[in-house]
Amino acid sequence: MSNATSIDSVLVNAISRATMDVLKTMANTDVQFNGVAAKPDYEGTGDISAIIGITGESGEGMIALSFSTNLASLIVSRLLGQSPETITGDDRCDGIGELVNMISGNAKVSLSQNSGTPYKLSLPTIILGAGHSVASRPKNNPYLLMTFEVEGMPFHLQLSFKYR
Amino acid sequence: MKQDVKVLVVDDSTIMRKVIIGILEQVGINSLNILQAADGEEGVQTALNSPVHLILMDWNMPKMLGIDALKAIRAAGNKTPILMVTTEGEKQNVVTAIQAGATNYLIKPFNAEDLREKVEQILEVRT
Repeated sequence: MSNATSIDSVLVNAISRATMDVLKTMANTDVQFNGVAAKPDYEGTGDISAIIGITGESGEGMIALSFSTNLASLIVSRLLGQSPETITGDDRCDGIGELVNMISGNAKVSLSQNSGTPYKLSLPTIILGAGHSVASRPKNNPYLLMTFEVEGMPFHLQLSFKYR
Repeated sequence: MKQDVKVLVVDDSTIMRKVIIGILEQVGINSLNILQAADGEEGVQTALNSPVHLILMDWNMPKMLGIDALKAIRAAGNKTPILMVTTEGEKQNVVTAIQAGATNYLIKPFNAEDLREKVEQILEVRT
C-alpha cells in the first residue's frame, strides 16, 4: 500500500506537470493546478469528458479529462489558431481526445519507469453531457480528482489506478 | 523549393492533422501536396499507392498502430523517410521505432519549432 501511495504521488506530479506542459506547448495556454482530492467514485464534472484506459504489468486504470463547453472551445481554438466561435462539436471532441492522449502518454512514461515493458493506452472515448456517468469505469477503487484552472475557468482530471 | 515536396500525415485526430498541416505550410510545403490518412491501414495504402517525400506517423490509431504501419511500409520495400509523431515517449518505444526503420522521432506535445526543425532536417538530407 505504501508503494502504491508513493507511486500515486509520482503519478499525480507527472500528470499535473504534463497537463500544464501540454496546454502551454500545444495551445499556448497557462494552467494553474489547484490541488487533488480522493473520491470514492468517478464524478461527472464538466460538459465534455475524454477518457482513456491505461494498462501495464503492474496495474491498470483510467484517466478522464473534463471541461465545460466554453473552456473546451477556447482551448481547441488555441490549438488550431482560430477563434472559439468557429469551433464545432466535432472539433471539441477530437481536440479534447487528443489532449487526454498527450497527457496520458506523459503519465505512462512515468509509470513505465517502474515496469519491464511500456504501458499501453487505449484510444480515447468522448462522453458528452453534464453529470454524465461512465458505465465501464474501474469500480471499488478510489479516484483522484485533480482540479486545474484556465483564466478563472476550472477543469478536472480524474485518475483511478489499480495496482496488481 | 519545397513547393513540390509531397507529404503524408497519418494521425487519427483531425485536430492534430490540422495542427501538423499548418506547421508544414509554414515550412513552405504546398497544402495541395499534403495527403492525409486517419488510421494505420489507410496510411500504409496511401504510402504505397501515392509516393511522397516524407511521412509523419502517429502511433496509437484505430485499425492498425503506427508502429505496425511503419513495419508494413518498410516490409514492402518503401524507403520514404518516416517521422514518428507520437505520445509514446518511453525510450524502449523510440528504439523499437528506429529499429523498425523510422527516420526520426518527435514526442507529443511538441512546439511548432520542434516539428519544423525535424521536417527541414529530413528534407535537407533528401535534396
